Amino acid sequence: MIQTLRKPDRIVQPCGFCGGCGHGVIQRLIAECLEELGISDRAINCVDIACCFWTLDGMDLDGIAGPHGRLPAVATGIKKTRPDDIVYIHAGDGASYTIGIAETVHICLRDVPVTMIVVNNGVFGMTGGQMSLGTTLLGQATTSTPRGRNESSNGSPGDFLQALSQFDFEFAARGALYSVKEINRTKQLIKKGFQNQMEKKGFSLIEVLSACPTNWHLSPVAANKRVEEVVAAQFPLRVYKDRGGMSDG
Amino acid sequence: MAETRFMKGNEAIAEAAIRAGCRFYAGYPITPQSELLEYMGAHMEAAGGTFVQGESEVASISMVWGAACAGNRAMTSSSGPGFDLKQEGIAYLASYEAPAVVVSMMRYGIGGGDITAGQDSYLQAAKGGGNGDYRLLVLCPNSVQECVDFTYQAFDLAEKYRNVVLILGDGAVGQMMQNVVLPDYVEPNINRYDWVIKGRAAGEKKNKATNLNWYMGDRPWEAHIREKLHRMQEQEQRWESYLVEDAELVYVAIGVSSRVAKQAVKMGRAKGLKLGLIRPITAWPFPRKAFEAVNPDVKGYMVVEMSIAGQMLEDVYGATQFSKPAYCCCTGIDIPVAEDVLARAEQALRGELEPEVAL
Ligand SMILES: Cc1ncc(C[n+]2csc(CCOP(=O)(O)OP(=O)(O)O)c2C)c(N)n1
Ligand code: SF4
Ligand SMILES: [Mg+2]
Repeated sequence: MIQTLRKPDRIVQPCGFCGGCGHGVIQRLIAECLEELGISDRAINCVDIACCFWTLDGMDLDGIAGPHGRLPAVATGIKKTRPDDIVYIHAGDGASYTIGIAETVHICLRDVPVTMIVVNNGVFGMTGGQMSLGTTLLGQATTSTPRGRNESSNGSPGDFLQALSQFDFEFAARGALYSVKEINRTKQLIKKGFQNQMEKKGFSLIEVLSACPTNWHLSPVAANKRVEEVVAAQFPLRVYKDRGGMSDG
Repeated sequence: MAETRFMKGNEAIAEAAIRAGCRFYAGYPITPQSELLEYMGAHMEAAGGTFVQGESEVASISMVWGAACAGNRAMTSSSGPGFDLKQEGIAYLASYEAPAVVVSMMRYGIGGGDITAGQDSYLQAAKGGGNGDYRLLVLCPNSVQECVDFTYQAFDLAEKYRNVVLILGDGAVGQMMQNVVLPDYVEPNINRYDWVIKGRAAGEKKNKATNLNWYMGDRPWEAHIREKLHRMQEQEQRWESYLVEDAELVYVAIGVSSRVAKQAVKMGRAKGLKLGLIRPITAWPFPRKAFEAVNPDVKGYMVVEMSIAGQMLEDVYGATQFSKPAYCCCTGIDIPVAEDVLARAEQALRGELEPEVAL
């Protein structure tokens, strides 16, 4: 069957992401899911003050930006005001697991029916590639750990998605973007997150392993290979919790 | 139908907010304003609104930022170090000119400070506190009825100017109990403004709640903000004047100190001393106009304030263009006592006090 690829109708301008960046793929997946589920007219885009910020204008939706790390709280205020709207968060790993970890924990605890997409690229992309305390791997060189992250002075990264999934909320899963198969699987996870909101279920957290070729100083192809071979080995791709019972197949 | 109730200042603020149509409150407990949060916890849901005990003041004001941009009448409250943590979100509200009401019931001291009443967060409230060139419209109640009235008006003012309104009280006003008349209920409509964020059909113009200059252009935005601040400065100065026309010395005070200063004026007048009082009701815009009605031969002004070095002093000097000496009656952690406030004025009038230097 021949399919014509077309731009989702809610993406209205070229994005500002670097070539090979996962953020742009995620933006497209979000737009496709909204369109396919027929909920674009109800959606509100909550973006962090980081590379995901580009989607504020890229998406033809009402949106809100920042403060850095606080989007779970911001989205809580919006969802409580407009419970019938589809409220989603597009944020980075630094925002979600470091500066905003308290906000992330508490949207899980409150189980607010919001869909949160965390882009785990292992660095602070926006500010030039510094260490992201929760996700930069041991030995990984960043602009703030030029000789590589070492445990004694920087501590070790952790699997926040797994840790958070102990709490009582709707859905937690991790996807990646290094192959068509993984992109399609990630799309299903994001879609599930939106469906949960449509069905008035609780909070959905989807983490996506993503490449930052610019700050990793790798080509897009090599960066995606690194996600597959190195990053995914540390942060397993699977469904961590699903109250509604999505199979992990 | 107007209803009368015996209430604490903190509770009266919460009740007035609900009656004004506030349907989103988030806050983190801190003395001396926790009753406000507790009152919201007890009554907000019954009014059809949302109460969230936030994980921090930062999270609470961020929720208010989201709720306000979504069109809700939203509010948070705090004090001292908790109010410090609100500054990030207040600046975000200012960046999009989103209206919201914030309450600071000042406690005394620096850092952790004390849990009792203070007025030493005046500068932070009146001059800003977050980054960037914005101002809050700052209303200073000195009675429980004013806690009701100012809170009720605050939501309209916030929307009129698309500006955060701050209710700046102190621990004493928050804890004080009086009979109050409560106003009628307002039911909010979250879609009444075209700047709110919500789901929209393709083709509709979209709103982006973020720095407005990116959409308006830098120069037009700066001109717009400048014009708004000047308009507020001109139109919103509020104050109460008491016996200033013939006064030889005029106290300037807000909140609990203004109640005591008024008492000192009465006691002084009974002894034949011509004292007066200017009570700023707006800390910003500072009521410079109030000084125009003062006796031109007034010998000086005296700031009565629970602080160390006199935070309102620079506003008084600004209002008088340094044309008159100004003194301080700074009582620090202690609530001023009328006899002492009067004695301090007598000292000033006898020429025994050096005018206070504004820092
Ligand atoms: C309060 C605050 N601190 C710091 C910053 C600067 N800052 C912007 S984005 C960012 C880190 C972004 O990293 P991440 O959340 O992982 O997003 P990425 O750009 O990697 O997708 C930082 C430190 C800010 N905007 N606000
Ligand atoms: S810096 Fe990294 S995360 Fe940001 S747009 Fe470029 S590749 Fe993407
Ligand atoms: Mg990152």
